[in-house]
Amino acid sequence: MKFQVACAGAVALALASGPADAHHSFAMFDMSKEVTVSGTVKQFQWTNPHAYIQLMSKDAQGRDVEWSMEMGAPMYLYARGWRPRTLRAGMQITVKLNPLRNGRPGGVVRDVTDAAGKPIGTNR
Amino acid sequence: MTLRFVAALAAAVLATSGPALAQDAATPEARTEAFAKLPYWPGFWVSEQYLQTTISGSAAPRPPGSPPLERLNGFDAPYNDEGKARQAEAARTRAGRRADGWGYPMMMDAATPFQVMITPEETMIVNAYGETRHIYTDGRPLPPAEDMWPTVWGTSIGHWEGDTLVIETVQVQMPYTYFHGGPVFSEEAKYTERMHLDGDRLVSEFTVEDPVTLTGPWSKTINHVREEGYDRMIQMDFSNDRTGQENGVNTIEPPADEQQAQ
Repeated sequence: MKFQVACAGAVALALASGPADAHHSFAMFDMSKEVTVSGTVKQFQWTNPHAYIQLMSKDAQGRDVEWSMEMGAPMYLYARGWRPRTLRAGMQITVKLNPLRNGRPGGVVRDVTDAAGKPIGTNR
Repeated sequence: MTLRFVAALAAAVLATSGPALAQDAATPEARTEAFAKLPYWPGFWVSEQYLQTTISGSAAPRPPGSPPLERLNGFDAPYNDEGKARQAEAARTRAGRRADGWGYPMMMDAATPFQVMITPEETMIVNAYGETRHIYTDGRPLPPAEDMWPTVWGTSIGHWEGDTLVIETVQVQMPYTYFHGGPVFSEEAKYTERMHLDGDRLVSEFTVEDPVTLTGPWSKTINHVREEGYDRMIQMDFSNDRTGQENGVNTIEPPADEQQAQ
């Protein structure tokens, strides 16, 4: 598993200044950390109030780990060019996310790229 | 069904239910004229607080120094003892709670876009969760007390003062029950909105009066702005809230298939 933890100071500072969270508080995520996870899409849940990417990855011991990666509601994704079939089972992707504070394999998605490093959708 | 038939049907309905407008729009021509005088507020409206919500589910930070935006969550309402007790209970139970949608009034202070459909007889406000407000503007009063009961979106009537839609809404269930970020007002609360277009903004001035939880009226102004990127309203149900809690910290619950396997 490609697993990088990097302090994203700029992101943390920006979010600390008062983002509006649409459905629940972002306190469950460590916004001071950015994690990069590569793996295979198991499922893309195009659902309210959140979409989720279920991503299969490998941990440091080579064991399978399923990540639950939260996104905004489908309408926000739609406005930025995402569609239910933007991610399909079996796709190889890399996701940058702010991880869950409780250490579980999950977080809130910041950006997604394909196996070649090309952005999938947009977050702008 | 022809347009003429629809217009005739509407006129027939009005003749029995809305004395003021029935007189104004007794003919299809009169109704067309009444329609043409009404404002038109096209667009997919979101609370300014949530403009440009990203795929992460959060809105972009506002520029430093921006004045704080007013909210409808009731956190700063002038609560009496009952209101304070409800707020304390909400604070105790909010973490990790799941929601069923926005409900009223929070759907008017949300990232989920809504549309405003104005007709002479009724204005409908509909959002992307399928939540709908019916605001009757045909001159009818509120229904008799025995014909109403508390609902998530309440019962509304309205009237036009020039280009301002004035809405009265009653019989709203305690909003906190439906959405954990909502206020704790009682079912006795009366909500008054004055909604008008100001340039590119749809401005809603809210006043809430609640003898059960408030010491006096509470007023807030919400600016709605048009969100870009939508070619139509796509409504989806609210079926997959995976918010959970573990050791006092919110988390993401496993997907349904894994929960079934456990």
